[in-house]
Parts: sequence; C-alpha cells; structure tokens
Amino acid sequence: MRERLEDALKYGKADYVEVRLEELEATTVAFKGKEIDTLSASKAKGGIARAMVRGGWGMAVFNDLKELSDAVRRACELAGLVGSEEASLAEVEPVQEVTRAELRGRDFRGVPLDEKVRTAKEYNDIMLGHHPKIETTETRYWDSFRRVWYINSEGTYIEDERPDISIYMTAIAREGDKVQKVTERAISHGGFETVEGLQERAERAARRSVELLSAPPVRGGVYTVVLDPRLAGVFAHEAFGHLSEADFVYENPRLKELLVLGRRFGVEEVSIVDDGTIPGLYGTIKYDDEGVPARKTYLLREGVLVGRLHNRETSAKMGEPLTGNARAQGYSSEPIVRMTNTYIEPGEVRFEDMLSGIKLGVYAIDMVGGQTMMEMFTFSAGWGYMIRDGRIEELVRDVVLTGNLFETLKNVEAVGDDLRWDHGHCGKGGQTAPVSTGSPHIRIRNVVVGGRR
Amino acid sequence: MKLRDIAHMVLEKVSSKVQSAQVVASWEESTPVSFEADKLKAIKTSRTVSIGLKVIVEGRLGESHVTDPEDVDALVEKALEATKFGREVNYTFPKEEPPDVKLYDGAVVEVPTERLVESCREMLELVKDYNPDITVYAYASKGVGESHVANTSGLDFGDEGTGYYLGVHGELVREGDILMAGYGRGWRRAEIDPSEVAGRAIEKFRMAERVVEVRSGRMPVLFTPEGLEVLLLSLKLGLNGKNVLLGSSPLSGKLGERIADPRFSLTDSGVEDYRPSSGHYDADGVPKGRTVLVEEGVLRNFLYDLDTATKAGRRPTGNTACSPNNWLISAGNTPNDEILRDLREGVVVYDVLGLGQGNPISGEFSVNLALGYKVEDGEVVGRVKNTMLAGNVYEALMRISAVGSSPEWTTGSLCAPPVLVDGLYVVSKEGT
Ligand SMILES: [Zn+2]
Repeated sequence: MRERLEDALKYGKADYVEVRLEELEATTVAFKGKEIDTLSASKAKGGIARAMVRGGWGMAVFNDLKELSDAVRRACELAGLVGSEEASLAEVEPVQEVTRAELRGRDFRGVPLDEKVRTAKEYNDIMLGHHPKIETTETRYWDSFRRVWYINSEGTYIEDERPDISIYMTAIAREGDKVQKVTERAISHGGFETVEGLQERAERAARRSVELLSAPPVRGGVYTVVLDPRLAGVFAHEAFGHLSEADFVYENPRLKELLVLGRRFGVEEVSIVDDGTIPGLYGTIKYDDEGVPARKTYLLREGVLVGRLHNRETSAKMGEPLTGNARAQGYSSEPIVRMTNTYIEPGEVRFEDMLSGIKLGVYAIDMVGGQTMMEMFTFSAGWGYMIRDGRIEELVRDVVLTGNLFETLKNVEAVGDDLRWDHGHCGKGGQTAPVSTGSPHIRIRNVVVGGRR
Repeated sequence: MKLRDIAHMVLEKVSSKVQSAQVVASWEESTPVSFEADKLKAIKTSRTVSIGLKVIVEGRLGESHVTDPEDVDALVEKALEATKFGREVNYTFPKEEPPDVKLYDGAVVEVPTERLVESCREMLELVKDYNPDITVYAYASKGVGESHVANTSGLDFGDEGTGYYLGVHGELVREGDILMAGYGRGWRRAEIDPSEVAGRAIEKFRMAERVVEVRSGRMPVLFTPEGLEVLLLSLKLGLNGKNVLLGSSPLSGKLGERIADPRFSLTDSGVEDYRPSSGHYDADGVPKGRTVLVEEGVLRNFLYDLDTATKAGRRPTGNTACSPNNWLISAGNTPNDEILRDLREGVVVYDVLGLGQGNPISGEFSVNLALGYKVEDGEVVGRVKNTMLAGNVYEALMRISAVGSSPEWTTGSLCAPPVLVDGLYVVSKEGT
C-alpha cells in the first residue's frame, strides 16, 4: 500500500498534498423491544485526497482504489480554482510510523456473531423484565475496526488501526400518556470486555425510567444548580470546548477580538484542558489526521483564556502553537479541528460542602443532550433532584439548563474534588468524533432551568 | 461494471440459498463548494459506491453492505450469516409498479463548478451589502446518482436522481452577543435563485437588529415553517409505526381520535416531484406514495415499512424504517401575514437549540430560542435571547389557533404554512 500511495502523490501538483485511505469492517446488532431489529455487517474501503494551492483546498473522495491517482490529480485541480493567497501550514516534523491496535482484552473480530447477539439480548431482557411499566427497550451493539493509511507530500507516512466498540441500552417506561426513557452506555477503543458484565447498568436504566414516571417535572425558573461530573464534563466540552476550536475563530476578526488570549472568562476556580495523550480514554490519539502528535493544551487556566485547539492551517494563520487536533470521521471526510479528551480540572470542594448553603436549588444529573450556538447553550439532564436547605430532596424530570456561556463561567461558585470521565461522540460539521469529557461536581448560581410552571 | 450487472450477479449468488432477497447497487457523485469567512475555501468532489443486500432465510432477515464490487462474496456471506440470528419476518420482497415521480433534472449535471462558485459569491455580496460586519459562510452543491434495485420476486428497476443546494449564513459579533442566522434551499432541480436565498437570510438579520426582552409566562407562539420542527420531531416518533406497534408512541391506539385542532392536516408523501425525500421505492422495494396521517385534526394512519406493516396487520406506506418521506401540512384559511398582524403579544420561532434532548417521544419539549423574535401589536419588535420555550407537542396541537393559507417548502423535506399555537410557556432569564 505504501508504494501505491507514494506513487499516487507524484500526480499531485500543489503546495501540499495528502492522501488518507481506510478499510473498515463493522457489525451492528440492535434489539427493539423483544425482537432483534437489525443484524447487519458492512465492509468498506475508500479514501480522500486533499491538496492545497495558494491557501485554497481541493478534495476528492473515492471508494474505488483504482481512482487513487486520479483523485490526487482532481484534488490539485480543484485547489487551483480556489487558491488566491499564500499557502500557510504550520511546520511539523515528518514522521514515519506503523502502529497496530493493542487489544489487551478480547479482540471483538474473533467473537462469534451469536455471542454478540446473546450479550445484547441479555441486557435487553433484563430491562424488559424489570417492571410491567417498561413498555419497550432499545439495545444497540456496534463494533468497527478501521485500518488507516496516511501519507503527505512532506514525507510523513502513518499506518494505524482504530478499533471501536459500544453498546447503548435504553429502557422506555410508560404510564398512560407519560413516557420516560433512560439510556446507559459503554464505549471504548478496546476489546469485547467493554460490553461484558453490564447487567447492573441495564437494571439501572430500567429502574430509573420507571422512577421518572412518577417524578414531577422541575418547575421552570432561575436556580443555583449543582452539576454532576457527567453533565459538567459535557458542559465544558459543548459550551466552552467548541468555542476554543480555532477554525471557528481564525478568519473572523470580531471573534478573534472577543476570544483573545489572556482575557478572563471565568472565576479563578475554573480551568479547562484538552488532552489527547491520556491513556485509555476515548478521545486519545497518537497523531491527528494531519500527522501532528497529540498533546495537552490548557484552554482556560484559572478563568483566563490561554489556549486554543488547532490544525496546521489555523495554527499558522493565528501564530499559535500546534496542538494536534485535526481529526476526520472517516475516509469521506476532511480533518477539521476537534477536541480529544476535554475536562474541568478538579478543585478542592467536597460534594457535601457544595450543597450546604443552597436554600432552593437543583442537582442536575447525567445528560441526554447538549447543544450550543456560540455563547448560547442548552443542556438536558437525564434527571435531577431538588435541593432544599442544603439537602437533596425529591426526584424531578425534564431538567433543561440554558444560558449564556460567558455569564455562566463567571457564576461558578464551587469546583469539586471528584474528577470523573465519560465517553461519547461529538458532532460537528456533519462529522462525529470519539471524545471523552471529564469534570468534578460544580456549583453554578443563576441558571435558567426550563420547565413548565 | 454496470449497476444492473452487479445487482444481478449478487442475486444469482444468493437466490438458491434464500426465501427472498433484494439488492440495491448505487453510485453517487457530488460537488460541494464552500465559502468560509467571506472567502472561497474549498471545493470537494466525491464519488461513492454502495452495494446493499437483504436476505431472508428460514423466516429471518440478514443485511450487509460493501463498497467494492469485488467484495460481493463477503457481502453474500455476511448477510447469510446474519440470518441465523436476524429479525423474524413474514414477507417476501415485493414486485410492484413504480409510482410517477420526477427525481432527475439534466440541467443539474450541466452546471459547471464555476457557477456554484458564482452563486456563493452572489449570496455573499448581497449579505455584505446589507451589513459588511457580518462574517459570511456560503455553500453550493450539486449531485447526481444512479441506483439499481433487483429482488427475487422479479423487481428490476434502474433509477437516477439529481440534487442541488444553495445556502448562506452569517455571524454577527457584538460585545457579549453573537448572532447566527442563515437560510438554505435544496431540491432536485438546478433552479434556485441565490438572491432569494440571501434575501431570506438578510431578513432574519434585519429583524434581529434590536434585542428585546420578553416576559415569562404563557403566550401565543407563531411557528414559521422552519420553526415547526419543534412540533414535528415528536410527531415523527409518535407516527412511526414501529413505535406504535411497540406501544412506546403516545398515539398508540388512537386511530380515528382527535389529536389536533381541526385546522391541522398532515400528509406524508414520497412522490412530490423533485423533492429531496421523494423516490420510486423505499428500502424494501415498496412503492412510495401519499399517506394522510392527520385529517382535520383526526388521526388517520401511521408510517409503516414492510416488516412493521406485516406485523401490525396494516398496509406498508413506503416509509423506510417507518420514518417520514416529505411532510406536507395543508394550507389553512388565515393569510400568512394576517396571523402576525392579529397578534397582540407573542413570540415567533425560527430556530431552536436543544430539540430532541430529553424525551421527545413523550411530546414534552423544552428548548432554547436560537433565533426567535418578539411580536407586539402585530409587529416584530426585535430578537429575544436567553429564552426557553416549553410545552407538550400533543397539547400544543390541540391549541392551534391559526394556520396560514400559503405553505412553502423549507430547506429539506417539509412543505408547511406558519402555524400559531396559543398559550405555550415562555421562560425568560431577564423576565423572571
Ligand atoms: Zn461536541
């Protein structure tokens, strides 16, 4: 393959050319209710050639590997139509590296299909059998194994293997017109052990969905809110992390002004970090999809904006250090600036102390969705509890938090000492990327909690 | 190798081993052009191939996909293996005549890449003329594809289709405030007017020049066709025949009952000429058609794929995975601009954040207004910020108090007029 790629690069006339090829095999097993809903397998190969001419990009995606050198030529032609300025890509040391996946546990490619089916079925049955109010369930097992070949015109050549495995277990409880849904999941770049031994998690999803049927919706209003680590981690990722992605800022003079390094955005207790090097996490990578090594980058340090996530182009254009955050979903996508493992650094406040002094508040737990538009954010907690006079009281549902990021970071009152990680997928520009998010408990005042009054 | 030949080769390999089988082979070529931050940034071309196989052995279904015609042996083997544990089904892939619907416009294929670039530039300049401080992003793309479906019942159908899209959005940053707004149009014909697309985007910025406060409380909410997704997302899940069969839809068992105000009628259609979700067949080879879902407020039908329909004892409606094709909301009898004019106090919704979080199937929603405006005495007075909208879709449908008389197609697969709902909860940070 290496020779073919080196040969194809010769067809490129551009300031910069790269090619990424992939082979992928995937299996999906999905239950809906008692029955198996989907059982499918897929196999794909394809690639993308990307070229830069005078600062403009041309790209060509293909499935048929015979089109490889033609794709390189087309990408260069298209780039020629686009470019109008000087090419600028941050300098990076060329690397030559061939890595193989280290599946310390059980390689899921060797697990027979019937075992995958049995595993998913067991969790599905646990949820279905939990309580008569469990109306239905959805259990989705998915694994994929990708082999990736990357080459660029500057002498970098990387071969890599990327295993992916996940299971989502969703219980749906119903009583009359009321429907409540709770999902538990396990995701990793590891082996089949990731999805083994999750009986208790399945049970928990079912139990929680039934409990939520009788929980009242939270009363809409403005509260002091304590976020659990999972929700707080997603908050750091969604609300702040995405604004730290340089592709969003680098060509917008007003945003550059607004998000200038050195500016204070939060209270001193808050530091937010992106770190693609932490072993075992879901966002961890050795090199990004431009061949740049991953690293640890402080975004917010003691409340002050100190760093940003970059690809080679944004790094050069903003004159800021390379961070190794250019990532692509797959062979049909170009790399874009993405987070890896993003977390709020733990502080010193114990959880019990965090609750004290809250007369009326909400303890928001878990998350089922989050979305941001620039400084506006909306997060849905899985559920919550009312906090009255420093004590956790009744369970409430439909806890949706919304607000302005810049105000909210200044309203953080306490950062806990209990950092916890969570794993998932981040969507941006039509691509998803594996990421981890982490945080301790945090307390924020003046948060709008949506709900019905 | 021709798609038809690939399809036939696969069928030949499996036909003796299965009760029923269907293969779809397709290719697609697209060219998206993107302007980022006021400049032409990238042109991409993409040529993709897909071969999908579904087989039924001893009443069980297995599926597989590959991208390389040389991998058809793996395709066959994996699909057959999956049938050992696959879903129990009780049908064979059908052979029926295709419906009459137009999907292909030869003019799209003729559009040179330069014209895509020019259309983007035109939209960009129009937005800049309105306000040079707006950072502009523009997109244009064209696509063409072919597919061939063949099954063991004798269906043997080749199809071709095109797609065309223009869109523009802008970012306007002021101290402590960032406004994002835009507009896009997509269908299967090359005819989209860049100046109209830009005009729609500019109108949104114009209405947002002032930021105003809104009180918290119940008030009428006017959903523009784009904003209607707030109500339709839950309906998509609720009308999904599989959710109905499993009992997770709140609409289970409610056929023939009133679920909305009589002004509200909703039809699913996969046979609107040149619309994105139109087609001849769904993924199981069932012809697409039109299905009345809600008629003058009364629930008439659900969306069914072949398998679910068989199990529910209903007719399949040509909806892959029981999901919508295009949705059409019927015209009401209030002129669109009159709805706004008669509004004393209320909110107009274009775009929201947080839709689908939580528990959309229950109908409960609680969303942040990403782009919404306040109306006072029949006029839009400005944009509202930090405001949430909450309610239940099924209650909201009963409280529809006006439906506009002029429906229009949105970016994607919805044709709808504006819809006014009385008494939704608005929660405002400022107004609390
Ligand atoms: Zn994200």
